[in-house]
Amino acid sequence: MMLLEHHAKGLLEGRAIPVPAGILATSADSSAPFLPAIVKAQVPTGGRGKSGGIVKVESNVELQEALRRLLSMQIKGHDVRAVRLEQPVEFLAESYISFAVHADSGCVLVMIAPQGGIDIEDPRMRGQIITRLADPSLIAVQSMIEEILVELPNSGRVQLCEAAHALAKCFFDYEALLLEINPVFILGDGRWAAGDVKFVIDENALPRQPAISAIIESNKTFYPEAALKLDQGFDFVVLDRAGDIGLVTTGAGLSMQLVDELTERGHRPYNFCDIRTGGFKGDPSRLVQVFRWIADGPAIRSVLMNFFAGMTDLGELAILLIAALEQVPELKRVPITARLIGNGLDEARAVIAAAGNPLAIETDLERAMDRATRNLEVAR
Amino acid sequence: MISDLVAPGMPVLVQGLTGRAGRAQSAQMRRYGTNIVAGVSPRAEGDVDGIAIYRTCAEAVGATGAQASVIIVPPLSVLDSIRDAAASGIRLIVAITEGMPIHDALKARVLVRQSGAIWIGASTPGLAIPGKIKLGFLPSVSLAPGSLGVMSKSGTLSYEVCHRLVSRGLGQSLWVGVGGDPVKGTRFADLLPFFHDDPETEALVVVGEIGGNEEEELAARIREAGFRKPVFALLAGKTAREGVTMGHAGALIQDTSGTIESKEAALRAAGAHVFSRIEELAAAVARSVASPAKPALRVG
Repeated sequence: MMLLEHHAKGLLEGRAIPVPAGILATSADSSAPFLPAIVKAQVPTGGRGKSGGIVKVESNVELQEALRRLLSMQIKGHDVRAVRLEQPVEFLAESYISFAVHADSGCVLVMIAPQGGIDIEDPRMRGQIITRLADPSLIAVQSMIEEILVELPNSGRVQLCEAAHALAKCFFDYEALLLEINPVFILGDGRWAAGDVKFVIDENALPRQPAISAIIESNKTFYPEAALKLDQGFDFVVLDRAGDIGLVTTGAGLSMQLVDELTERGHRPYNFCDIRTGGFKGDPSRLVQVFRWIADGPAIRSVLMNFFAGMTDLGELAILLIAALEQVPELKRVPITARLIGNGLDEARAVIAAAGNPLAIETDLERAMDRATRNLEVAR
Repeated sequence: MISDLVAPGMPVLVQGLTGRAGRAQSAQMRRYGTNIVAGVSPRAEGDVDGIAIYRTCAEAVGATGAQASVIIVPPLSVLDSIRDAAASGIRLIVAITEGMPIHDALKARVLVRQSGAIWIGASTPGLAIPGKIKLGFLPSVSLAPGSLGVMSKSGTLSYEVCHRLVSRGLGQSLWVGVGGDPVKGTRFADLLPFFHDDPETEALVVVGEIGGNEEEELAARIREAGFRKPVFALLAGKTAREGVTMGHAGALIQDTSGTIESKEAALRAAGAHVFSRIEELAAAVARSVASPAKPALRVG
């Protein structure tokens, strides 16, 4: 998961990495403690500059104008909910440094270029980046940095060296998947500063990364999916606010495949969900939560559940399903199809029948999809 | 050959056998016929359900000759368990725990490489030779002896795929879940040699998904190795939105490859049949491969 630039810079500042002064603003009438200022849209994706999400303002009038525009725009599907107001920096040169986990090789990809700036994606720019794979240890990455720096021109080398070593330490300490600084500002007085930061974190490492967990916990509106996983241990993502079919499913791959197949059939799934039945532990509250979120969908007209139970007992699951449904009566007006397969199917049937069959059971997934999508037609 | 990876009757130890999940999973594996000879837990001694518990893998291997390990410990302890197993001479390590930190997985790769062991996982439902041995928790309803070699990233999706194939009379020679983590012990391409000359394996079923480039790597290996058995692949995640992780962490790190289009093109170029719907894949495999019940034309 990518941190917003503002939060990433806060983390780096805490580790004595120099960053330009800046504050977070979320409302269109915010004022800047300094002018001129750079107004930077805070979204977890690259290419903000090219999308018009970064502007320089000289006056309060320009600032208000920029805030109004940026705070109502979307960049690559992400709503801009906040901007960072940053003090412009006078620099001699812009460079580039990044460290990334390279999944294929199990190594760390070290990339350094004396010339940075926005267009590092440009193939002509790419040729100027020195790229090396290092073994996944701080010491191996440090010696790789030394090797690379020898190949660079003298100007700015001292600052790049200091920057690369300090950032490599952060990469390992925070267990980052990607830490990219573009540009690294090379300043006139022998110092340097991190101009922009892309910081991708490993959610699996959060239990032992208190500083990052704290950022997510105190900024749940910016990181709703990660906060959910951190708090509750499962995944739920609204894919299409106007979607008409809600999904209560388990398993990331099969849930993703279901979204694909329904979309391919011409339907609009409302959400992705990997509810993880293993985490229920006899308590329906996770189901209640998911049912409420689905009931919130303004266009929901059919619900499809899919439980391929490896370890879960379907009889016990059915008891929880019924209990949860009792607590979310608004979902009862929607036809629910439950595909159940695994141990305890007969008990599940009995439990659901005893409750007056609030959900229709199918054992075959194709048939369950047919039924759930047929329910859409009927509801229309 | 499959036997280079795993063999029926091989002595297996379970790290974390004394935990709630470890105990339950071990009982299931034994019921399936897996020869569990020892448990490892740093705190416990004595035995659990008649299985002796040792403090380290080295002690367990010394006493029982265990060759494989199944790791069922909390996510932040998986690295230590892999270190323990690798140092003891265990040759097959299956880590079924979900949520191992990625920097730990990087370190674990280095460790197992140095020891010469094979590490499957983490976040894997495991592997099985149906009817013979199960390391992990692949569901019995999806397992049947047969001639399909199966490799999968997602657990649940592969359960569904194999369940549909089994209901058509098509079982597996060996099924290995590599797990949905981006950094892992064994990748699709690493498994190809076990199926290549294996007489039991007639065709390969690959259950892949968006993110990473294991499918592309597998396609390249199929071409290089001259793998001639038919390959059927399902790719999940066509509708996944950029920047949104859907359960598996695989999609976000490298942005150069990993799209469905890139995977599909690579696999097709290697002669594989690629599908986006489970039912279509199952039907195509059934048309191509002889089922044990009803001998048909042999392909490949």
